Amino acid sequence: MIDIEQAHARGRTRGVHRRTGDNIERLVAALSPLHPYLRGAPLGLPFRWDTETVHRGLNFTLVTALGDLDLLGEVTGGGDYDRLLPHSMVIVAHGIEMRILGIEKLIDVKRAAGRPRDLEAIAELEVIREQRRKLGL
Amino acid sequence: MDPVIDAYKSGIDVTLIVENLRRTPEERLRNLEALQRFVLRFRGAAFRERIDPS
Repeated sequence: MIDIEQAHARGRTRGVHRRTGDNIERLVAALSPLHPYLRGAPLGLPFRWDTETVHRGLNFTLVTALGDLDLLGEVTGGGDYDRLLPHSMVIVAHGIEMRILGIEKLIDVKRAAGRPRDLEAIAELEVIREQRRKLGL
Repeated sequence: MDPVIDAYKSGIDVTLIVENLRRTPEERLRNLEALQRFVLRFRGAAFRERIDPS
């Protein structure tokens, strides 16, 4: 489940993953070619991108060959993948099905996170919600 | 109601939001990717200018 931040064109993708053994294995295999590393950490740390690391952690803020990636096991105010699932929807882009968080829940989790940097994004999301209602979308 | 969020709302260009809402999710994503490519190119140019202003 993804949330692509576009407010500041930071190019950061945030994804919530289901914490099952099979899924973590698939995730590790899929991201390995992108050489994930801890974002903001000094180079040379003994960080290994493998299933054991992902099992031991929960939320990872990573830098990859394709950009920044926040890989979350849980979201403040939203819970884990299965709790977020009913609040998500499927879109198709580049021929790939992606599950994204609906606007109502996205506003909720950004409010729950309480980060100053999210205030502008919340304002934009609330305006989008108002306009969607006006347009009957 | 949050006064800080409301203050941010006053600076939002609603016409751009409406224009974006009329696009499909795929079109919005493609536009976002194009914007990100532009930002990356701009950052690269700014970096090159800093290290070699001539």
